[in-house]
Amino acid sequence: MEQKWEMLSSSNEDREKIWSRSRTFAGDVWFRFRHKPTALAGLVLIAVLMAFAFFGPLFTKYDYAEQNLTVVNIPPRMTVYDAPDGNGYLTITQNLKLLRVDQDGRLGEQLSRVRDDDARSMTIFDCGGTEVGLYYGKTPYKVCNPDKLTVYHHRTIWNRSYLLGTDALGRDILTRLMYGTRVSLMVAFVAAFVNMIVGIVYGGISGYVGGMTDQIMMRIVDVISTIPLTLYVILIMVIMGSGLQSIIVALGSVYWVDMARVVRGQVLSLKNQEFVVAARTIGSSTRTILFQHLIPNAMGSILVTVTMLIPSAIFMEAFLGFLGIGLQPPLASLGTMCNDATENLRTSPYQLFIPALVIVLIMFGFNFVGDGLRDALDPKLKK
Amino acid sequence: MFRYFIKRLVMMLVAIFFIILLTFLMMHAVPGGPFTNDKKLSPQIEEAMNEKYHLNDPLPVQFKDYLVNVLHGDFGPSYKYPGKTVNGFIGQGFPVSARLGFITILFVLLAAIPMGIVAAVRNGKWQDMLLMALATIGVTIPSFVIASLLIYFFAFRLNWLPTYGIDSWKGYVLPVIALGGYSVSYIARLMRSSLLEVMGQDYIRTARAKGLSEFHVITRHALRNALIPVITVLGPTIANLMTGSFVIEKIFAIPGLGVYFVNSVSQRDYTTIMGVTIFYAAFLMVMVLIVDLFYCMIDPRIKYD
Repeated sequence: MEQKWEMLSSSNEDREKIWSRSRTFAGDVWFRFRHKPTALAGLVLIAVLMAFAFFGPLFTKYDYAEQNLTVVNIPPRMTVYDAPDGNGYLTITQNLKLLRVDQDGRLGEQLSRVRDDDARSMTIFDCGGTEVGLYYGKTPYKVCNPDKLTVYHHRTIWNRSYLLGTDALGRDILTRLMYGTRVSLMVAFVAAFVNMIVGIVYGGISGYVGGMTDQIMMRIVDVISTIPLTLYVILIMVIMGSGLQSIIVALGSVYWVDMARVVRGQVLSLKNQEFVVAARTIGSSTRTILFQHLIPNAMGSILVTVTMLIPSAIFMEAFLGFLGIGLQPPLASLGTMCNDATENLRTSPYQLFIPALVIVLIMFGFNFVGDGLRDALDPKLKK
Repeated sequence: MFRYFIKRLVMMLVAIFFIILLTFLMMHAVPGGPFTNDKKLSPQIEEAMNEKYHLNDPLPVQFKDYLVNVLHGDFGPSYKYPGKTVNGFIGQGFPVSARLGFITILFVLLAAIPMGIVAAVRNGKWQDMLLMALATIGVTIPSFVIASLLIYFFAFRLNWLPTYGIDSWKGYVLPVIALGGYSVSYIARLMRSSLLEVMGQDYIRTARAKGLSEFHVITRHALRNALIPVITVLGPTIANLMTGSFVIEKIFAIPGLGVYFVNSVSQRDYTTIMGVTIFYAAFLMVMVLIVDLFYCMIDPRIKYD
């Protein structure tokens, strides 16, 4: 009979050996991170939005600045009327014209106007030889037969030409949304990165050098943190003029204070540990100790602060865009799209809902990832 | 306590001086003079304008004059609206903004603290889940989105409330909710976690052991200590609400200071931008200082240095 069990060797070496696979710190963090559903959901959300923003424009046939004034404010889901010549549908545009729509929901050409019939509040259009009337006497406007005054059969279908509809200048909202998300994400990433660098250098020097230098540098930080920074972002925008660079400079130059505090705290707690003393003993320069030894050890809290910085930068950018001092048209960002949409809120609410939803998704994503990262990097903090 | 107050006061004065200096320098760093416009002025007129507003003086002299004027409470004339002064704008706009801000603060406290208490008392139950889900949504949606959604549903669809203006109490409902939404969510979460922490302490067990009712334990014993973190964030919250009101005032067409500020920014009315910025900054810093002092007074555990 075959031996089912065999003796393990009993040497001391084998007893001491750790048999499980050893996990690096990064692996540990990733393990804790991916076992938190909200954090993982946030990461997936961000990845999807980034793919949407950066690869989306490759698949769209419109340009973000291309205006088409015949298709102004067409919603994603539109009311259509049966065309009397049996050739698809008709839809009413905001400037009281009739557009052909085919069976699938693609927009066609505009019907030509025959005459106005003011007495009956109607405009008569020519639809393949038959006359159709657009009744604008009271809302909702209707398409009817001008002789018998019967309203044609109507239904709602999805817009297949412009999946998310068009805005007040006839631009495709889906395309603008892609570019807008791209601009918002880019502004946020660059601003967060600039803040990170400034904060690391400032906080690192302040914490490591210590003494009087630290005192003075931290008093400056205290003074800056009492100033309402929103005002200064707006002021910088006034001076530099609106545009992508000025937003990045404005956001990048103002929000590094928190980062500097975090880095200083970390450096202070680390700088008397043995590995720093060892590095100093072998004659490493201050710069080497600071950037090769101390900062990498503080990277955890720095990363968490950055992920929390990104949503606030997106928030600020949208805020500026909404106030009308952000980007200049035709460039789009999520904030400026919301701002443009408020003018037509009553008739075309979808123009606001769509970019607003994307802003909310981005905020959710980054907040979840930030929370998850904080818990993963420091499980002791978890409540 | 007194030393702490003096220290804070000195720091605030230094900060205000730097704000004035920074704002002044920034506004003078703008390329082109304040009268550079689409319409080209004749050189004589521009020269006369520069002379009238002392813009030909050396920069330090201009700054000294401006500083002295500001210390006398005079922010100078508006460059874009002849005959109007920045003080006039502040006098018209600030009371409106302050009233909106005050009502919002009341709303925030009256909504957030009970929300936090209920969530903490019903920890883990459906009430807690619901309130905290609401609070999470509240901190992620920007105020202008909340405002637009509220207008769309309550004003356009249901026709319950006006879309703009503050002629009656109804006009305040939507702006206050939109402006306070973020703070309500934030403070409710803070209140919940701080109350949960306090409820686990020994003196609460003692209070319960004495046979006090749960209501009494929470309101008389737990709440006092649990409120301290809430008071800490009150200063920044005020600052948040005041700057957040730029957008809200714009959406609801409320004639507050925020509207004057945004208008002056888009019209490049330099003295108004400067004046309103300095006024805002100084006001907010004073508010934060008052809140901080109040905070030190109610919690004897805090050291003053």
